[in-house]
Amino acid sequence: MQSEIELHHPKNLAEALTLLAHYGPDGKLLAGGTNMVVELRDGHHNGKSLVDLSHLKELRGISKQDGYIVIGGGTTITELIDHPLIGAHAGILREAARLFANPLVRNRATVAGNLVDASPAADTAPPLLALNAEVQLMSQVATRWIKLEDFITGVRRTLLQPGELLYAIRWPVPSARSAGAYTKVGLRKADAISVLSTAVMVELDDVGVCQQTSIALGAVSPKPFRAHEAEALLKGKVLDSALIAEAARLAAESTRPIDDIRGTAAYRKRVVAVTVRRLLTKAVEVLK
Amino acid sequence: MKPQMITLHINGRTHYVALNPNLTLLVALRDLGYTDVKSGCEKGDCGACAVFLNGVAVNSCLVLAAQADEGEILTAAGLGTSEHPHPLQTAFSDAGAIQCGYCTPGMIISAKALLDHKPHPTDAEIRDAISGNLCRCTGYAQIIQAVQSAAEKMDAGGEG
Amino acid sequence: MKYQVKPLPQVNLPELRTVGKPLRKVDAMGKAVGDTVYAGDYSMPRMLHGKVFRSKQSSARITRLDVSKARALPGVACVITGFDVPNARLVSDMPGQTGQKQRAGSDVPVLASEQVRFYGEPIALVAAETLEIADKALSLIEIDYEPLPGVYDPLEAMKPGAPIVTPPDNIVARWKIRKGDVESGFEQADLIVENTFRIPYQEHAYLEPEAGVAWIDERGAITIRVSTQVIEHFRTIARAVGVRQNKIHIQGTMVGGGFGGKEDITIEIYLALLAKHTARPVKMVYTREESFLAHAKRHPYVIKHRTGVKKNGQITASKIEMISDSGAYPYLSPYVLLYTTVMAPGPYRINNVQVDAISVATNNPYTSAFRGFGGPQACFAYEQQMDDIARQLGLDPLEVRKVNFLRTGDCTATGQVIESATWLEETATRAMAALGEQTPDYGSVKIGQGFASYFQSYGRITWMHDTSQAWVGLELDGTVTIRAGVPDLGAGQANSLCQIAAEVLGVPLERVTIYTTDSALTPLSGTSTATRQLYMSGNAALMAATAVRNVLLNRASKYFEEDIEALDIADGKAFIKSDPSQTLDLVDLAKMCASEGMHLSNLALFKAPFTDPINPETGQGQVWPDFTFGSFAVEAAVDTETGEVTILKAAACHDIGRAINRAAAEGQIIGGGMQGLGYGLMENLIVKEGVIKTPSLTEYLIPTSMDYPDIQAIILESGTGLGPFGAKGIGEPSLTPAAPAAASAIANALGVSIPEIPITPEKVLAALERA
Repeated sequence: MQSEIELHHPKNLAEALTLLAHYGPDGKLLAGGTNMVVELRDGHHNGKSLVDLSHLKELRGISKQDGYIVIGGGTTITELIDHPLIGAHAGILREAARLFANPLVRNRATVAGNLVDASPAADTAPPLLALNAEVQLMSQVATRWIKLEDFITGVRRTLLQPGELLYAIRWPVPSARSAGAYTKVGLRKADAISVLSTAVMVELDDVGVCQQTSIALGAVSPKPFRAHEAEALLKGKVLDSALIAEAARLAAESTRPIDDIRGTAAYRKRVVAVTVRRLLTKAVEVLK
Repeated sequence: MKPQMITLHINGRTHYVALNPNLTLLVALRDLGYTDVKSGCEKGDCGACAVFLNGVAVNSCLVLAAQADEGEILTAAGLGTSEHPHPLQTAFSDAGAIQCGYCTPGMIISAKALLDHKPHPTDAEIRDAISGNLCRCTGYAQIIQAVQSAAEKMDAGGEG
Repeated sequence: MKYQVKPLPQVNLPELRTVGKPLRKVDAMGKAVGDTVYAGDYSMPRMLHGKVFRSKQSSARITRLDVSKARALPGVACVITGFDVPNARLVSDMPGQTGQKQRAGSDVPVLASEQVRFYGEPIALVAAETLEIADKALSLIEIDYEPLPGVYDPLEAMKPGAPIVTPPDNIVARWKIRKGDVESGFEQADLIVENTFRIPYQEHAYLEPEAGVAWIDERGAITIRVSTQVIEHFRTIARAVGVRQNKIHIQGTMVGGGFGGKEDITIEIYLALLAKHTARPVKMVYTREESFLAHAKRHPYVIKHRTGVKKNGQITASKIEMISDSGAYPYLSPYVLLYTTVMAPGPYRINNVQVDAISVATNNPYTSAFRGFGGPQACFAYEQQMDDIARQLGLDPLEVRKVNFLRTGDCTATGQVIESATWLEETATRAMAALGEQTPDYGSVKIGQGFASYFQSYGRITWMHDTSQAWVGLELDGTVTIRAGVPDLGAGQANSLCQIAAEVLGVPLERVTIYTTDSALTPLSGTSTATRQLYMSGNAALMAATAVRNVLLNRASKYFEEDIEALDIADGKAFIKSDPSQTLDLVDLAKMCASEGMHLSNLALFKAPFTDPINPETGQGQVWPDFTFGSFAVEAAVDTETGEVTILKAAACHDIGRAINRAAAEGQIIGGGMQGLGYGLMENLIVKEGVIKTPSLTEYLIPTSMDYPDIQAIILESGTGLGPFGAKGIGEPSLTPAAPAAASAIANALGVSIPEIPITPEKVLAALERA
């Protein structure tokens, strides 16, 4: 049954923060609405005061500032696909955006909404994790930056406190000697929830020694996460196929997948080793 | 739950309506008589309810009506009539792109959204553009032909 | 090219003016501009909103049902339970039409009052002033259940001691075929091949959930405007509601997709009950989730094949056993099982055949009609079996089939002689040729090509004595009106009649208007099911239009002082064939006829062949009027590390007898093929303890525009069908061979076959481990 709610349309960011402060735990953020509106139909959030952020221009925009790419939380997934800065400095995010749901949903869904929703299969999380992204949380009284890796704490759980909204996301502009790769395994070619998704970034020095890598995995654990052990194995070494295979094995070992209607845990664990291996190989090839 | 007064500009007509804040734009449009906007899943899976909201193609089932306050809405019926159809509507009719027709209005919205930005799309771009609009009848091939054929006609000086 | 494409046999089909052309369908523009008013788009003054209260248990006794709080809610007009309408029952398996014994559970209560047998079974109806109040009322209905042991596996349900869904037993239907002597056939064999195939549920997933509005009109008739494939259900509804048959009036709307899912009664019975009890108009529209719960699914089957073959591939014996899951109530399960039984051996000449088929009741979602009606399940099994025979004999898949393909004049396993063309090799070689050269393997991706051939009936079972009517009339301004009760599902059911009448009466298609789908005002044309409307109603329209044409030619012959044979009608004019400059406008001709009292309209009744039922012990006898034959070919790329399958190319070639509207026929071929590919590769209805775990289009995935390439549609026209102008049927046949063709291509790529669909990435990896 349709939930009964109050709905507020703040005219600007300050008004939104005031409303959020006022309602505290009874307040609820409404951004693109692509999950929230469905949840209302299913009877969730009954009695809550929804604060509609979809009109706020302060939450939009993609820019390059002080060595970071900064995007407003209200940036839509479509804007990620179209913006040249994303294409130039976050190809893996663009790729994930292209495979995100479908064009009609992408026109409404926002990056902040996707991260705050904190699904284990959130499409933007693995590329942003691989890019070492941070999120900026804002309330009427304070603003704080948190590593995305720490922000999502579990299945649909984050560090976002009542009264806060996710104002912006940023990540350091990747080095020119780095390359990334992204893949999503789904049960159809469009508009599919991930069975698993993988994003990697690799940075090599002039002689081909790995300076740093990041390996981020989605839908294979309670939250999207970084496979640090596998990353550590690669640092300071030349990435040959044996080493990459070993890193892929370590990455797969670090997962805690479940059986669900989209796939078994065993399948996810097995295939994540394949995707990590392929993506690392591809990134290294690009850099050669 | 208090009803809210909102203003919707739909296909060139202005409506002032009082409605509960939990109602979707889809429900509001259909209650106002814009039944060309179809309800197929109410969760963004099928695209049958697609409309333009301020120039952007969206699933009207995923937007609360109050979020569209003061918005400009264009539905498939606002694109043309049987006497004066939009080139997409003509092309869909002539290419065999319409079987049961339930997906058609939403499909035409997504096709128009594509052609507005890319007047000469590839088949692959058309497939991507309509990937949020499920069709259970046609297998999509004749829909893709129809969009190509409309693109050609519009390029040759038809309306846009 | 892998196979040589030989020229087709000589066919002389006369060139026609309207029939065969890819003209704009008469229903298309209304849909394109949003003028078409679907069932859920219609509203009435003072209208109430209806809702159904459903079981949350798969098998339970209802120990308490209290609707008093719901009834007391302001704005609720009525709440109806099974105790209020004890006689409201629906006979679900057509025994009245076949003279067969009614089966256990076939008398379905409209509302369960003592026991629920499946999750989602209707228990109560609510009508309220608004949808919100109706929803609120549902939440106020109080119910207690005492869980009963349930049975969720048809094999378990057949065992002694299994919970009985409806007494006396769980056997819903049995069919058997006995032809020749299979044991001696196996003795003649050089090789015996055995396989077990598992074929799953499929959800129709039409874009339009079930919807309708009902009201009581000024005659006191309950009028139901509803999306349905069968307006003739008014008779069953009259009995269940307790009124005379001429007091139920069904106005069928344009259907937003049916595929068999709107063949059984859906919401019209609830609407009728609510309208009768409230004496007000009532609207009901299912949500997507409720649609998943409420309507039938395609039957899951387990099919075992044991085939004896000679070294050259010739089949000496075929022994087939199958079990289907009918769910909690039979609905059309006995008939679906008959289709699977008779089609089980495939389009092959086999002297020794034994088929044993059983449909079993469980507490799973009930199963009934879905495009193909048991044929696709049979085809998946027999074509995988043929591929395995070829593999084991080391022969080419086409060579093995060619040795066995049915030819015109041959008998089916039930002894029915096939009189039409059987272009199996012709369609298989053309479909494969359309794929072109095989793409080479790359990396861990293996690529394969494969095909499946099939036969599938069109028209209903001949012992149902099927008929259809159509009325055609010429108006005084030279336009043509057709009246026919056909439900239009979007496949061109109505348009075909228009193109046929336009051809016969020599007018452009734009001058023809058709009024359809009204149980009181249009002549009854039967169901839009069983690939029968073009065949049945097309022939009725042809007969009616021909009768009107004969009246016109008679009068024109007097005017021209020429024999009728010397005259023709085209472009709205009668003319002398040898001197087309001598014309008589149809408007003038119509006026002459009218002023002389000549009949410018005709109501025709077309009858299919009428036969007696097949012999229950041997299955021998005629089952359908005729068959469509064709083939489907697929090139698939399989990632052997992730199990992901990508279809690179697909082609379908069918002999459809004659295309009435070429674009519409291609639309059936491509659309049906896509539904079949989805069935084979993607669509996965997961059911646990009777509960659907994939209850919406988020979880139950159907193909998007990105999933499969364009299916190349190759239309052959033998002109040998029983439909108008030699047409066969293509609505259902289009789906049948797609899933087995995809499976065949995947097996060809991997060197190991997967006997179970959908072929998910996990099944691919499991098969590779077995290999």
